[in-house]
Amino acid sequence: MFPRPIEHSPRSWQLTYQAMLPAALILWLLPLLAVAVFSVKPDADFTTGNYWGVPSSFNFVENYGKVFFASDMPRYMLNSVLITVPTMIGCVVLSSMTGFALGVYKFRANLWVFFMFVAGNFVPFQILMVPVRDLTLDMGLYNTKTGLVLFHVAFQTGFCTLFMRNFIRALPFELIEAARVEGVAEWRIFWFVVLPLMKPALAAMAVLIFTFIWNDFFWAVVLTQGAESQPVTAGITSFNAQYRAAYHLMSAGSIVAALPPVAMFFLMQKHFIAGLTLGAVK
Amino acid sequence: MKVFKGTIAALMLSCGFGVSVQAESLSGTLKIFSDMANPAPRAVMEGMAERFGALHPDLEIELTVIDREAYKTQIRNFLTANAPDVANWYAANRMKPYVDAGLFEDVSEVWADPIFADLASTKGAMTLDGKQWGVPYTYYQWGVYYRADIYKELGLTEPANFEEMKSNCAAIIESGRKCFTLGSKNYWTTGGWFDYLNMRTNGHDYHAKLTAGEIAWTDEGVRQTFANWRELIDMGAFIDNHTAYSWQESLPFIVSGDAAAILKGNFAVAPLRDAGLDDSKLDFYQFPAINPDVELAEDAPTDTFHIPSGAQNKEAAKAFLKFVVEADNQTLINNGANLGQLPVNAKSSVDDDKFLKEGFAMLSSNSPGGVAQFFDRDAPAQMAKAAMEGFQEFMVKPDNLDKILARLDRAAKRIYK
Repeated sequence: MFPRPIEHSPRSWQLTYQAMLPAALILWLLPLLAVAVFSVKPDADFTTGNYWGVPSSFNFVENYGKVFFASDMPRYMLNSVLITVPTMIGCVVLSSMTGFALGVYKFRANLWVFFMFVAGNFVPFQILMVPVRDLTLDMGLYNTKTGLVLFHVAFQTGFCTLFMRNFIRALPFELIEAARVEGVAEWRIFWFVVLPLMKPALAAMAVLIFTFIWNDFFWAVVLTQGAESQPVTAGITSFNAQYRAAYHLMSAGSIVAALPPVAMFFLMQKHFIAGLTLGAVK
Repeated sequence: MKVFKGTIAALMLSCGFGVSVQAESLSGTLKIFSDMANPAPRAVMEGMAERFGALHPDLEIELTVIDREAYKTQIRNFLTANAPDVANWYAANRMKPYVDAGLFEDVSEVWADPIFADLASTKGAMTLDGKQWGVPYTYYQWGVYYRADIYKELGLTEPANFEEMKSNCAAIIESGRKCFTLGSKNYWTTGGWFDYLNMRTNGHDYHAKLTAGEIAWTDEGVRQTFANWRELIDMGAFIDNHTAYSWQESLPFIVSGDAAAILKGNFAVAPLRDAGLDDSKLDFYQFPAINPDVELAEDAPTDTFHIPSGAQNKEAAKAFLKFVVEADNQTLINNGANLGQLPVNAKSSVDDDKFLKEGFAMLSSNSPGGVAQFFDRDAPAQMAKAAMEGFQEFMVKPDNLDKILARLDRAAKRIYK
């Protein structure tokens, strides 16, 4: 099932592999490379039709300078942080508690409650667009960061609960029983016994949620408008002027917007991969 | 709110005593919603609010700038629910839904002010049912932007009529180039072509009636327009595969010299200049006459200010509207450092820019037939969409004309009923 290490295969296959890999990589990364190259091109390169060639002048400082100092991008970035971080915290806090309850206590409706959390993941979120938009409008949360955070927390908690509950189930139950025998209060068991053991899961989940929410475009467009509340994924279109789109600035903006999740991935790579496989094999 | 009504009452009282509404007497709050969200227009709007505020120290101005696209959907909400005192919008048919719904205030009284005598060129665009519903603050010309160096190389001159336009084009094709670049992936680019061909073939009034649904798409006049268009298509005047390009993607053809001209609004000049076409290489001519019996008319999309009928401080709003169209203000906000477009007040001076000067002269003195707004502003949104899709199809498959016109006729019957 797991791919066999390449050293074990015949030399001819190794050579093919080594030749194919860079080609596949380039093909795979071509759009990204194009965006990266475009982000240092001057505006005129688009009008002269120089889409793929060498930049006619190296405008790194101008373009990125404009993105940071002459546009609403910093504002959008801040919005993204203010949306992503509270969502991350909210999901982790809620789902560690729901996960604990569903994983440790045996009550009659346990499985059904758990299924309800899981079922939320099976709902294609696009069909929620109109009701959720109306709901936030009625609650006065339309076009606010709070509205977006609350929705994300509500929607992501389902997935996180599945994740946490399965992780807690996998912990040795004897630890909890031993604590109970000692007469430790239930909340202290959660806080001092289970939570420290959950640290890898918490880290993995926080990283996953961070990338999910940071990259969310759909809800950002549906629930917010304007620089005071929109996150960066939606804000990039603000480089579209009335008459023409500033593709070079949009490229630079995209690169900037993509940096936090990429940085997060490289810094927390271990947790990220753990997060993807955690709960997959219970 | 009470204080507010008090000030209005005081204002009215002062009017009653025959004291004209002086600048100083405006007070309260003036709420302005604007869609001028890009950096330069935004600065213009903020500058105007600031200067108007300086004239009226007792007036507090609240300016809300909303992203242009978002504004288009939000306006429906805020005009009914939470109306500002002044709002940006567009002229002609684009304001019709709000006028018909009673959401815009009739400002004919403002237009009675002598200053508006200098705004004759745009008055028609602001008039519906014989009344005016807003004031313009900027517009820009459309026309043919061409490569002067290519024309010179081939010994061509700016065409004075359609025959010359076609003979020029034949010479350009002969030299291995295309006459016009076009990016019909943006359907509206074909709307510009239709506007000009139809206005030159049948005249502005006919065109206005067609976009207002009073003339059928199957009319003989429309067929004549398409016949003229087809002459250009059949001779290969347009670049190949134009449906694959957006209007910005169509610019490289004129920059590289593979196409000699583009029919476009003045906003095309900035990117073309950036791409290295200086004034010796890029020039402008008015779309030539086709039918000598009709007067020349131009497309000049106009952006406007309106007073919502739910506005609270209408006195201040009216004063602001007058302030906007003043010659000095028009000169300032439309200069190259700001909007870089044309002032609507004929007494304003236009920036020292070749294209703005030509456009200003053309619209002020050589557009006797009238000024149209542009196809997608003159026709209702649904009709504009259906028609421009039809134009694009026609440009690729001219033989489908009968089918297209029949389809547009059916659409028109549904939309204008």
